[in-house]
Amino acid sequence: MKRIHTLIACTFTAMTALTSCQRGHDETGWEFAPNMYNSVGYEPYSQINKNPINADGKNMREPVTGTVSRRNYKTQLDSSGVDLMIYHLGKDDLAIAETVLKNPIPNNEKSLAEGKALYGRYCQHCHGETGAGEGAVADMYKGVPNYKADAYLNMTDGHIFHVITHGKGRMWPHGSQVTPEERWKIAHYIHKLQKG
Amino acid sequence: MRSCLFFKEMRNISRLFVIALLAMISLSKAIAQDGDAASGETLFNNNCKACHSPKDEVVVGPGLKGIQQRRDLAWIVKWVKNPNGVIQAGDEYAVALYNKFNKAQMTAFPAFGDKEVKDILAYIEKANTAVAAAPAGATNTAQAVSGGSGPSDLFTYILVALLLVMLLVLGVLLAIVSILSKAVSGDVSSSEGTSMGDKLRNGLVAFSKNSAVRSATVWFFILMVTKATIDGMYGIGVQQGYAPKQPIAFSHKLHAGQYKVDCNYCHTGVNRGKSATIPSANICMNCHGVIKKESPEIQKIYTAIEKNQPIEWVRIHNLPDLAYFNHAQHVNVGGVQCQQCHGEIQTMEVVEQRSSLTMGWCIDCHRKTDVNTKGNAYYDKLTALHAKKSKEPLKVADIGGLECSKCHY
Repeated sequence: MKRIHTLIACTFTAMTALTSCQRGHDETGWEFAPNMYNSVGYEPYSQINKNPINADGKNMREPVTGTVSRRNYKTQLDSSGVDLMIYHLGKDDLAIAETVLKNPIPNNEKSLAEGKALYGRYCQHCHGETGAGEGAVADMYKGVPNYKADAYLNMTDGHIFHVITHGKGRMWPHGSQVTPEERWKIAHYIHKLQKG
Repeated sequence: MRSCLFFKEMRNISRLFVIALLAMISLSKAIAQDGDAASGETLFNNNCKACHSPKDEVVVGPGLKGIQQRRDLAWIVKWVKNPNGVIQAGDEYAVALYNKFNKAQMTAFPAFGDKEVKDILAYIEKANTAVAAAPAGATNTAQAVSGGSGPSDLFTYILVALLLVMLLVLGVLLAIVSILSKAVSGDVSSSEGTSMGDKLRNGLVAFSKNSAVRSATVWFFILMVTKATIDGMYGIGVQQGYAPKQPIAFSHKLHAGQYKVDCNYCHTGVNRGKSATIPSANICMNCHGVIKKESPEIQKIYTAIEKNQPIEWVRIHNLPDLAYFNHAQHVNVGGVQCQQCHGEIQTMEVVEQRSSLTMGWCIDCHRKTDVNTKGNAYYDKLTALHAKKSKEPLKVADIGGLECSKCHY
């Protein structure tokens, strides 16, 4: 009987001691079976141990020099059959882009709705909901134009496409975030904003 | 032709002279006859404001205060119509300007003529004279604010009143305790000699010696410890509340909250694939290539780019490898908002794991969430079949949201 009492007392002392410690905000805490929690294969976004194969110890590898990003070179868009290889223009080729590039996406309600969603994601915080450059970031960033300004009224879809891809003035290139297809949809929506 | 040009030149010079003279005497009167400030304001706000201030501060391009003293009208018009042309022609002032402002070229406004430029100039003059008048008003309001120290006085009064009330309550409570302790000891006469503190201590000793009170306390303690132990056991493997320090003190509160940058802008993969993706340094540079470059936190990005080493962000949401999760399926197809799982990210200075990410948590949502079947022919037959056996709307659980192999394989 006395032994049981001692045992119970010990258990409770241990329980009190263990539960009185709290996990800090910097700790992930305990896991039941770490070998099932941590991936055996190399995951790009989780790295538990140093990678033994790659020299720098990272799981991620840089693409081989000269690699061409395929998604920017999708050779066909919808059924129009437009070859997107011609979009491989340099940063200074704005004048060529303006005249040569034609928007392969039909301008309809669907593409405008998609363009609006994309504009909200990638452009709105600077260029503003109405395109007047009234976004929350623009106050801090400065130099965000009004799409309705006279200098921009006649800009072509190709101009918009090129500026999204390579940037212009204070705007930096957004080609890594926005796919060509999405850029064309945004171009449609910007023209809609210009009309007000 | 030549005389005409000469005449124009003369007119311009004389006008400039008059303008400069009048500007010295009275800024507002000088332009009132020449340009329409109201239409100038509209023109300025629509076309110039993004890069120029009507005052003397530099925004992107130079501040335009006193532009008419610096340049003549003909030059301004020529410049506004075609800045590149003026630079190419080798105009000394234009080239100096171009070099001073980091070779950032001003947008051309070929549609602008003398009238538009004059209107804008009139607005600039007006804006600057308005500034001169403003300080007087500003001091008045400042005085009004400093005089109005009433609220703080009121606050002190309320605090004092509250303190008095609390002291009163404390006195009443002490009186009650003394009366009660007298009643418990049953001896009214003997306690009269002892002090208030002794009476209180005697009462407490008697209370603690009560066996019912003792066992109740012990049981309460045992139950609390048991509950804490069970909770702790359930908490193993759950990283809710995990908020590690990141290599760069990036604030979601500032970027997503105050500046309203869309989550997708940086986490570009969220609509396209399994991972929402952590932005690479080039996305940071989209803004920080221009602003806040001198901040030590942002300098860390520059160092990472120079050394060509990615920033090692600490992963917060560690879903165990035994469960598969895809962002695109939930965000793009399911239309789930980021905040539903990640909490109010736009208010977090340091990001914290808000959801438990346990299987129960996943299943719970799959049971509760309706599938958006409207306008999607894919679901027509499914909804018809579902309507036959259930009156409830089609849930995620009904289309395989509880299948083991959907997430575990």
